[in-house]
Amino acid sequence: MSQPAQASLTRLEEIVGATYVLTDAAELDARQVDGMRPSAVLRPGDAAQISEVIRFAASEKIAVIPCGGCTKLGIGSPPSRYDIALDLTRMNRVLAYDPRDLTLGVEPGARIEDLLRCLSEQRQFLPLAVPFSDRATIGGIVAANSSSPLRHSYGGVRDFCLGMEFVTGEGSAAKSGGRVVKNVTGYDLHKLLIGSLGTLGVITRLNFRTFPMPSAQGTFIASFSDAEAAFGFCREIAQSVLMPHMVEVADPGAAHFVFAAETPERITAEQWSVMVMAAGQPAVVDRHARELGHMAAGANANEFVRLSDAEQASILARIREFPRLVLEAAPSAMIFRLGVVPTAMAPLLARLGQMAARDQFDIAALTRASGVAYVGFLPKEGEIAPFAALATLASEVFQACHTAEINANAMIEWCQDEVKRAMGGIWGPVRQDFALMKRVKNAFDPQGVLSPGRFAGEI
Amino acid sequence: MKAQLIRELTALLGPKGVLSQAEDLMLYEYDGSVEKGSPDCIVFPGSTREVAEIVRLANRYEAPLVGRGAGTGLSGGAIARDGGLVIAFSRMNRILEVDAANLRAVVQPGVVNLDLSRAVDHLGLYFAPDPSSQRACTIGGNVSENSGGPHTLAYGVTANHVTGLELVLPDGEIVRIGGKNIETPGYDLDGLLVGSEGTLALVTEITVRLMRKPEAVKTLLAVYETLDDTTESVVDITVRAITPAACEMLDGFTLRAVEDYVHAGFPKDCAAVLLIEVEGLTETVEAQAAEIIEVCRLHHAREVRVARDAHERDLLWKGRKNAFGALGRLSPMYYVQDGVIPRTRLPETLRRIEEVALKYDLHIGNIFHAGDGNLHPLILFDERDRAQFARVVAAGGEIMRHCVAVGGALTGEHGVGMEKNELMPLMFTPEDLALMGSVRAAFNPAGRLNPGKVLPMGKACGEIRVQTSAVSTTAPA
Repeated sequence: MSQPAQASLTRLEEIVGATYVLTDAAELDARQVDGMRPSAVLRPGDAAQISEVIRFAASEKIAVIPCGGCTKLGIGSPPSRYDIALDLTRMNRVLAYDPRDLTLGVEPGARIEDLLRCLSEQRQFLPLAVPFSDRATIGGIVAANSSSPLRHSYGGVRDFCLGMEFVTGEGSAAKSGGRVVKNVTGYDLHKLLIGSLGTLGVITRLNFRTFPMPSAQGTFIASFSDAEAAFGFCREIAQSVLMPHMVEVADPGAAHFVFAAETPERITAEQWSVMVMAAGQPAVVDRHARELGHMAAGANANEFVRLSDAEQASILARIREFPRLVLEAAPSAMIFRLGVVPTAMAPLLARLGQMAARDQFDIAALTRASGVAYVGFLPKEGEIAPFAALATLASEVFQACHTAEINANAMIEWCQDEVKRAMGGIWGPVRQDFALMKRVKNAFDPQGVLSPGRFAGEI
Repeated sequence: MKAQLIRELTALLGPKGVLSQAEDLMLYEYDGSVEKGSPDCIVFPGSTREVAEIVRLANRYEAPLVGRGAGTGLSGGAIARDGGLVIAFSRMNRILEVDAANLRAVVQPGVVNLDLSRAVDHLGLYFAPDPSSQRACTIGGNVSENSGGPHTLAYGVTANHVTGLELVLPDGEIVRIGGKNIETPGYDLDGLLVGSEGTLALVTEITVRLMRKPEAVKTLLAVYETLDDTTESVVDITVRAITPAACEMLDGFTLRAVEDYVHAGFPKDCAAVLLIEVEGLTETVEAQAAEIIEVCRLHHAREVRVARDAHERDLLWKGRKNAFGALGRLSPMYYVQDGVIPRTRLPETLRRIEEVALKYDLHIGNIFHAGDGNLHPLILFDERDRAQFARVVAAGGEIMRHCVAVGGALTGEHGVGMEKNELMPLMFTPEDLALMGSVRAAFNPAGRLNPGKVLPMGKACGEIRVQTSAVSTTAPA
C-alpha cells in the first residue's frame, strides 16, 4: 500500500470510520507478523464493514491479516504480503447465550477469559484451556486451533464448534453449520477455518456447545524414572475403565516449567511426570484417586500425589500456558507441535532427546496422551543458537517424525522469524493433499487477500 | 456409447463386477428415502485402484458417478438421479487394521457399521456412531452422510470419530487426508469430507477412532400420560446439564406399533415414553440415573422402569431400532423427517407437529433423538393416493420451516441429498450456497460426482421449490 496509500486510507476510513483506522507506529508494531509491519490497523465494528474492507482490498491487491489479542501472530510462515491488520477486538459481544440449551454464539473478538467468566456464572464452560488466556480472543484461538489439555475428554474445537459466520477473500459474508448441537445441513465449511490462520476467511461469529462444570475435580501426579514407564502408565489408564478429563506427560525439561516454585517439594521435577485430572461427582474423583494410586504403584512410580486445590489451580494454569512459559524463558526457543499416536510417543521423544543432547539444546516436552505434543528446543542458558543450526535441527526433527514407524505430523508452532526464513518452511514436508488445500484456498480467497503465505507453499 | 462403456467396465472388473440388466437396475434405483432414479449400470470394485480406473473410464464417457454402501440412506444420497454408474462398495468390506493400542481401526467403506464393533468387541472396544440401520449400513455410507444415532448425544456423530480418509477424486487421482493422528496441520479436509454426501470424492478407506466400552450401563424407560410431560422432562434433563449417553422419545402411536411388532414390553396405553441410557463409571451411572429418575417423577412420569439385565436392555433397544420397520406395518409408505431444534423448544414443536397432522389429516409418528433435539416425525401415507401424498409433502415442508424458524436445522443426521436440497435456501443465503458451490467445484469441477445432491439445482433461484420428484415411490428396504 505504498504509492496510492493515502487514497486507500481515505476509502478505508469511509468504511470503518476515521477513529478506527490507526496508523501510529506503536499500533503498527504491536501487529507485526514475522518482522513485517502493516501500513494500517483497521478496527471494524461488524461483518458488513469487514465485507466492504475485503472487497476493497481484493480490488486494490491489498493483503489483510485478521487479528485479535495478537498473541499468536508468530504462528505460521512469514506472510508474502501484509498491508492491513484487521483488528477484531471491537467485535467482542456475546450474541446468544442460552444456558438452558447449552449453546453459545459469540463474536470473534471476545477474550476467552471474559467468555469463561460469563459461562461460569451459569456453572458452564468451554473446554479451551489455552495459552495466553489473559489476552487471547476466541477468534484467534479457533483460527490457530490452540491446543487444550481438556481435549482428552472434550475433543478439539472441531468437536464442539457448531457453526460459523465469516467473510471470504472475495468479501462475501457466508456461514456454515448452525446453532443446534446436531446438524448435517450443507458442507461443514467452518471446520476448514479451524486452524486456517486467517487464510480462508475472517471469522465474524462462532457458535459453540457449552459444557456443564463438573461438581468436583482432582489432579494427581505420578512420577517415573523414564519415558517408557511414564507412557506405560498412560497406556494402562487408557485401557482401564477410568475416564479422566486430562492426561499429560511432562519430561524433566517441561516439568521445570509446569511445577512452579509454589508447588510442594514432594513433587520432584527431575523425572517424567504424568498429570491426570479427574472430574465429575466427588465419588468419581475419589475412585480415580484410589485406582490411579494402585496403577501407579504397579507401574513402579517413584511418587504419587494428589494435589491440593491451590496446587491444582497452579499446575493446570501452567500446563495451559506451557508454550508461553517456554517462550518467556527462552525467546529463541523453537517449539514443535506434533500430532502423534500414543505408541509412537516414547520412541519419538527418545529420538528428539538424542538430537537435542547432540546439538547442545535443552529439551522440554509436554505431551497430551490423546495425541498432541509440544516439544521445545531451548538454547542452553546464556547462549544464542545460530539460526542455521536450528534450521538443520528442524529438518532432522521433521525426518524423525515422518518415518514409517513414527508417522507423526509436525509443524513448528513457535520460532524466531529468522529461523523460519533460514529453513524455508515451518510446515515440514509438503502434505500429499497439498493440491486439494490449494484448491480450497482458491475457492475461499481466489485473489490471495487473506493472510497470504502464512500457510505452506503460497497459501 | 452406454453399451461400449459397459463393455469396457466388464473388461476391467470381470462379468461379476458389473450389473446392467433391467431387473438389476431396478434393485439399485432406490434407497431408504422416498426418492427414485435408475442408474445405467452398477459396478463392484474390489480395490482402490479399481475405483480409480472406473472413475477414469466413466470420465471418458462423461458418465455420472454415485457411490453406494448398503442403500439404507434416508435422503436419496445413493440414488443415481442423472443415471450413470452406481459404484457399490459391497466388495470392499474388509477391516484392514485394528490398532487397539492407539484406539484406531482402518476399514474399507463397505464394512457394515455393527460388524466393526463386533470385530473389536473382544478387545473391549467399539465404534460409537450407531445409526438405527447399523446392522446393515456401511461405514462408507456413515462417512458420506455424517451419520448419527441414539448414542451420538454423548459421543458425537461420525465426523467426531474419523481421523483419516483415502479418497479417489473425480479425476481418478488417489489422495490420502489425515491419518491415525488426532490432528494434522493444515486445513481439516477430513472435517469437510465427512458429511459431504459423496459429492466431493469417493471414499475408499477410512481410519476411525475406537472407544472403550463403559464399565456400567443403565437403561431407563420413563412412561408418561401426556406428551407435554415427556418433552418437559427432556428440557429439564438438558437444563440440569445431565448428559445421558442416549435420550430417545417414542410417542404412544409409535409405541403401540412397535410393541405389536417387537414385544419389548412397552406400555401400549401411554402418551409417550423416554428411553434413556446412562453409561460410564459405576459411580457416574448411579448418580445420573438417580437424578434422571427424579426429573422424570417431577414431570409426572407414571412409571420409571430400569432394565434389570442385558436382555431387557437389548429388548428395549430392539424396539427403538426397529420402530421405523414397525410403522411400516401400519402403512404402505412413510416419509421420515430429520429436523433439529434447540432442545428447549421441544414441547412447543411437538404440539406444532400435532397441529400439522390434524390440519393435513395425516398420521404422524414421533420417534426420535430427544436429547439433542433431533426430530424424526414419520408421516404415514399410501403412495396410490396422490392427493394424500401432496398433503404429506406440504406437511413435511411446514414442519421443516418450523424447525428453521426456531433456530434449528433441516437435517440432523440423514443428510440433504435430493430430498431437501431445494429447501437449503430456508437456512442458507445465496452467498452461503455460492461458496458451498465453489468448494464443490474445487473437488468436483465437472459435477459428475453424485449430481443433484446437497445444493439446490436451480441456480441463483431464491424461490423455494418443495421436492416433487417422487412421482412414483417405493417402500424402503
